[in-house]
Amino acid sequence: MARLALAVMAASLLSGCARLQDSAVPLCPGPDRNSASLFLMAQAVPSAAYVPCVSEFPAGWTFGGQRIRNAHSEFWMDSDRAGSRAVTVVLTRDCDTSRAVVVPQEAGEPPMKRFEEPNALPPTLSGNRYYVFPGGCITYRFSFAPGATFAQAVEASQALTFVSRALGVTVLAREGQLLCGRGVRCPG
Amino acid sequence: MGHEALPATKSHPADDRGPITSKRQRRPSGQPPPLPRELGASGRFWIGSLLALLAFTILLLVTTVGASIDRQESVFLRWIAEGRTGWLNRAMLTVNGLGSTAVTRTLRLGTIIALIGFRRWRHLVVLVISLLLVAWLTGKIGQFFIRPRPFGVRIIGGWDGSSLPSRPVAELSVALIGIMYTLLPRGGLRSAAKFIAAVLLGALAAAELYLGLNHPADIVFALVLGIGIPLVAFRLFVPNAVFPVHYGKGRAAHLDVRGARGEAIRQAVHDQLGMTVLDVKPVGLAGSGGSTPLRLTVVGDPDHHLFAKLYAKTHLRADRSYKLGRTILYGTLEDEKSYNSVRRLVQYEDYMMLVMHDFGIPCAKTYGFVEITPEREYLLVNEFFEGGTEITEAEVDDALIDDALATIRRMWDLGVAHRDVKPANIMVRDGKIMLIDLAFGEIRPSPWRQAVDLANMMLVLALRTDPDRVYQRALRFFAPEEIAEAFAATRRVTMPSQSRTMLKRHRKEGRDILARFRELAPKHPPIAIQRWSVQRIGLTLIVLLGMLLALLLVIDNLRTGAL
Repeated sequence: MARLALAVMAASLLSGCARLQDSAVPLCPGPDRNSASLFLMAQAVPSAAYVPCVSEFPAGWTFGGQRIRNAHSEFWMDSDRAGSRAVTVVLTRDCDTSRAVVVPQEAGEPPMKRFEEPNALPPTLSGNRYYVFPGGCITYRFSFAPGATFAQAVEASQALTFVSRALGVTVLAREGQLLCGRGVRCPG
Repeated sequence: MGHEALPATKSHPADDRGPITSKRQRRPSGQPPPLPRELGASGRFWIGSLLALLAFTILLLVTTVGASIDRQESVFLRWIAEGRTGWLNRAMLTVNGLGSTAVTRTLRLGTIIALIGFRRWRHLVVLVISLLLVAWLTGKIGQFFIRPRPFGVRIIGGWDGSSLPSRPVAELSVALIGIMYTLLPRGGLRSAAKFIAAVLLGALAAAELYLGLNHPADIVFALVLGIGIPLVAFRLFVPNAVFPVHYGKGRAAHLDVRGARGEAIRQAVHDQLGMTVLDVKPVGLAGSGGSTPLRLTVVGDPDHHLFAKLYAKTHLRADRSYKLGRTILYGTLEDEKSYNSVRRLVQYEDYMMLVMHDFGIPCAKTYGFVEITPEREYLLVNEFFEGGTEITEAEVDDALIDDALATIRRMWDLGVAHRDVKPANIMVRDGKIMLIDLAFGEIRPSPWRQAVDLANMMLVLALRTDPDRVYQRALRFFAPEEIAEAFAATRRVTMPSQSRTMLKRHRKEGRDILARFRELAPKHPPIAIQRWSVQRIGLTLIVLLGMLLALLLVIDNLRTGAL
């Protein structure tokens, strides 16, 4: 009986740990997904209408880490081919796009301006992509290890997307909470 | 464990069912020892809090109680936010600066530098480990338990990372506890500091809640981690009773025998040896680093003195570190092994004294040892040489030289060795020598170790007279080849540091005593004692690797701000 209880406890803890691991990864909202880090990013830049998120990790890509603080949040992804911290995604209130060129948006992307700023071509691909929208800017910083190709940049781009603040406000309102910032005024 | 005959007791005939009475008192099972290992009420409270925190964390993991707590906390924070005013906002932002990296880092590094300055290494190690552990735990909890900042209130001021736990509160807590327990002596000053720390932490916590930076639970988590971990660590690893913070003279190895420990010594000697102690006084601290030597005044007719050595776990660790250092520097000496407990160490010395005394080797009579704190502190009680002086202060004539050399001869013949023959361990009373400090003594030692005993005794005698005279007297007890063997076995590592220092002084004055002995004795090839072994190489590599890792850890934590 004691062994069974121990096994149940261990299983509970392990499942709990798995959930905790998820909470650090900014996965886009979905069933059984923890959105804590998305809310924290939204709080970091309260003016931003969108927050970056990861829809699914492509094969060979993993979550690297994140740092979220007021006015600035970023997370990065590692790749088995493009190297560690191959892509860093940054959310800020604004960004300098003076050296970048405007490119047309891809189908299905939210309404925002997209800029490209290539720095180096393969074999050591690096460059920045900016998405500018009301109250915020999302930057993808590509910094690939030698040998990586554009294919990895495409993979990473397809994995990354955005979630609107409005969705976060709605979800929280259902739980009786307020996500202060753009469009929601809070006391104090 | 006492060896003196028990005081008068009732006879124990078969028909006598009454208890046998004695001045000695057995400690009943379950009763505390003379000096219980105490964490203190606050220590127990913080251990309980840490356990409660762990339980709460598990609760959050396996249930959805967190959502309910979130809502309650938001209501509370909204209530506070509705009362915000401009001037109070500014004041709270200023107070919030207490938790800034600049402030907490200054406190941390200041404490570390002060501890290095005061050479308070144990406190330093415990402090650094506490700082790193709290920083690591705070980081990991924040990483795994990502919690958004409070919802429903405008957040004022800067923040970094997950709301749980509050990093500024944890960092300020550990820094303040570190200062209190490593730099401030116990007493009024530390009590005042506790009050000030409580005020500062309370102010920071209030500011964080007011500014909407953290939830109440984040602050509670941070306080429990930031206070509980260092406080329990200091209570466990550098307890005030053993490692008091003070700014006077005194060697770190010597324990404070005032207060609770002094009382415990009196009680232990009374209960376990049946003697009433009138006074406990440290003696000869300069010559002893391996224990705390004491002179006990006990009730008698007339009152008399006893010599006692207080051994604690700290001495055991010092002995281990010393032997580890010697192993790395010189290789494992064939008969040097560390003790695995304080009890074993004291038992061994007590046993050696009994054996030596029974063999007729001039040494102090042991009265046994008493337990102060089980497995941590023991007091070895033996005869006090009233009127005895260290050989360095005594008159050394031919009779005394003969007595000393005859003692070594007798030890050779009986198959025992002292292994620490140095001036501080040779007392002289009524023209006779007495050997003290038999902790390193050995029965059936190696011939090499016996030879070293002879060389060390001859060196000590020559320090007070001259090598030629000692050599001539030695020929009365030892063959020239035996003396040659003794000096062929002698190396820097075989000579106690006290003898080495004195020999060095003589050498500077143009008298190389060791060289003179080697000239007088027949030629003998040096006896190799340093051994290269896999263990020595492995230990050296492990220690170097450990030092490198520690250095990298410190550099990395300085870079990331954990230190």
